[in-house]
Amino acid sequence: MVVATVLRAVFGYCFLILMVRVVGRRPGAQLTPFEFVLVFYLGGLTLTGVVADEISLTNAITQIVTIALCHYTLTWLRTRSPRIARLLDGTPLILLERGRWRTDTLSGMKVQDDDVMASARVQGVKSLEEIDTAVLERNGEISILKAQK
Amino acid sequence: MATEPMTNPVEDTVAKVDGYVAVGEDLEFQRRWWRFERVVWTVFVLILVCDLLGLLGRGYLAKAQSKTSDQSVTMDYERIERTNTPSIITVNFGPGAIHGGEVRLFVSGSVVKELGAQRVVPQPKTSEIGDGGVTYTFEANRLPATVDIALSPSLPGIHHFTLGVPGSEMVQAKVTVLP
Repeated sequence: MVVATVLRAVFGYCFLILMVRVVGRRPGAQLTPFEFVLVFYLGGLTLTGVVADEISLTNAITQIVTIALCHYTLTWLRTRSPRIARLLDGTPLILLERGRWRTDTLSGMKVQDDDVMASARVQGVKSLEEIDTAVLERNGEISILKAQK
Repeated sequence: MATEPMTNPVEDTVAKVDGYVAVGEDLEFQRRWWRFERVVWTVFVLILVCDLLGLLGRGYLAKAQSKTSDQSVTMDYERIERTNTPSIITVNFGPGAIHGGEVRLFVSGSVVKELGAQRVVPQPKTSEIGDGGVTYTFEANRLPATVDIALSPSLPGIHHFTLGVPGSEMVQAKVTVLP
């Protein structure tokens, strides 16, 4: 049934977005091997339910077009509404500010001080004292703002 | 003639720290999101527990048995099934079901159509359509006599079916097929 095919594709897309959003942002611009397993496993498992036993090219094209439209719509909505942008991407979060850790944010986002220090080293900062503000960005990167001397 | 690109003056609309860092943090939203995440994780755990118990099919609580009052037919089946997932209805015949070395089994059309009957084991000697279903005839001389009907439902929903020896009491059952 064509409607069921489209609905399965929409459900699979929305469910994966929810899963990835709930599983959370981890610091780092690149996926770790640990996260690769999650992404591929989730994708593969979703595929079995979404495609089911309809393995025709027509079904594949219908579902690809459906997912492309869903993605386009969400992207468009994200640019139109800050509220939807926050729901989809989250909000930047301050992890460290003027020498004090935001402990509830660190534990809520499962980020450790080591993760902040690793990002600081990448950005040429050698010690925590040199950091004024550390921000967990929406894409998972940690931005470091150096303290002014 | 080339058209000029559309432009807008640069305005900083996100929050600032000390007037020089534009972060745009919304901690209140994030706290609400963490509360939502806790609800989602609870729902995920509940789904898993329901699945392990068989409330989503293929488990202990999904198994069911129905029988006629004279116990001529006893049927083991799954009251909760999943689409495109194989399952078996096992029909056990009692002594009252065998007549002249044969046993007859009527199966309503919903078993074939909605519940997607794939095959009947053993192979029936004859199949006869009518009365909104199929009547199979099997050779049977001794007990226990069992017939398995392999299912693979293609559509989700609640499906009713009837099964039994023609001329005797029928077993009625309901199967919920999950997507």
